[in-house]
Amino acid sequence: MKRAEYKVPGGKLLAAEVQEKGGALSSVKLVGDFFMHPEEAIMSLEEALTGSPLGEIDERVESFFAEGDIILYGVAPGDFVKVIRLALAS
Amino acid sequence: MRIEDAPTQMAIDEAIAMNRLTEDNPNTVRLYRWKPSAVSIGYFQSLEKEVNLEECSRLGMDVIRRITGGGAVFHDYNGEITYSIVAPETDPKMPRDILASYQVICGAIIQGLKALGVDAEFKPVNDIAAGGKKISGNAQTRRYGVVLQHGTVLVDSDIPTMFRVLRVSDAKISDKMIKAVEERVTNVRRYLGREVPFREARDALVAGFQKVFDVSLKPGRLTRGEERTVEELKAKYMSAEWVHQR
Repeated sequence: MKRAEYKVPGGKLLAAEVQEKGGALSSVKLVGDFFMHPEEAIMSLEEALTGSPLGEIDERVESFFAEGDIILYGVAPGDFVKVIRLALAS
Repeated sequence: MRIEDAPTQMAIDEAIAMNRLTEDNPNTVRLYRWKPSAVSIGYFQSLEKEVNLEECSRLGMDVIRRITGGGAVFHDYNGEITYSIVAPETDPKMPRDILASYQVICGAIIQGLKALGVDAEFKPVNDIAAGGKKISGNAQTRRYGVVLQHGTVLVDSDIPTMFRVLRVSDAKISDKMIKAVEERVTNVRRYLGREVPFREARDALVAGFQKVFDVSLKPGRLTRGEERTVEELKAKYMSAEWVHQR
C-alpha cells in the first residue's frame, strides 16, 4: 500500500492510501479531517475510483462531484486527485 | 451536565437527531462530559494515524469515531465540556447554509466564553480561538432532516496529555510552521489565569445559547424513544467495524 498526505493550503488535512495493479487503482481510501456532506458519499467516491485506470482519475473525480449533490469544506475535488497522485508517486 | 462514556454520549447525540422530527421533540441543547476521558475522531479520519492507541489504553481512555467530520478531539474528563445542538434544517433560526450555521452556533459558544472573560473569535470553518490559540473545535452533520452540531470547549484540558494521545501529522505541523503544536491550543483556565469551575462554565454556555438563539432553555430528560435509540446506537459506536472503519 502506498500512502501520501496533503495539507490543503488554508484548508484541512487529506491523505490517500492506494494500491495499484496493472495501471489501475485497485484500492483507494481517502482520510482526513475535512467535511463532506453527506458523509457516506466518501464510500461512493472510493467505489467510483476503484478500478480506475490511472489516466482517468481526474475525470472520475470530476464527474463524481459534478453529478452528486455533495458539499465539501476544507478540501476541493482537485485535492482528492492531487493526494491520490502523490500517493501513487510515493 | 450528563456524564457518560464515549459510546453513550455519541449515541445520545445521534438519538436526539434521529428522533427530533419523528417524535416532534423540541430542539435540544446538551452539555456533557466524558467519563472515562476519551478521544473522538472525525468520520473520515484514520484511527491509527490520528490516535496513539497504546497511550489511550494505558490511560484507560475510550476511543470513538464520530458521525461528524473534522478532527480528533481529546475529551478530558477533568477539563472539557462538550456541547451538542439539534434543530431542524428548516428552523428559521438555523441558516440553511452550513458555514453560516457554524458561525451562528459557534456564536453561542463565543458568547459563553466572553461571559467568562475569554475574548474568543470564530475561525472558519469550524474553530473558535482566543488570543490566536484554539479553545474550541466544532463539527456538524445534516441528516434525519436536522442539523446536529457538537463541539468541545477546553475549560482546563490537560494539553500535554492531549498531545500524547493525539498524533499530529508532519504535514500539518510544517504547514503551520511552528515547532510546538501545544502552543497553538489553550484553555479557559490558561487564558484567564484562574480556575473556572465546571458549573460556572456550564452556566455561561447555557446563557450563550439562550442569548444567541433568543430562547429560554428548559432542563429535560431523554424521551423513552430517545433512550431506546441510544441503546440501539451504542452497539454501533462500540463495534470495531465502526471505530476501525478507516
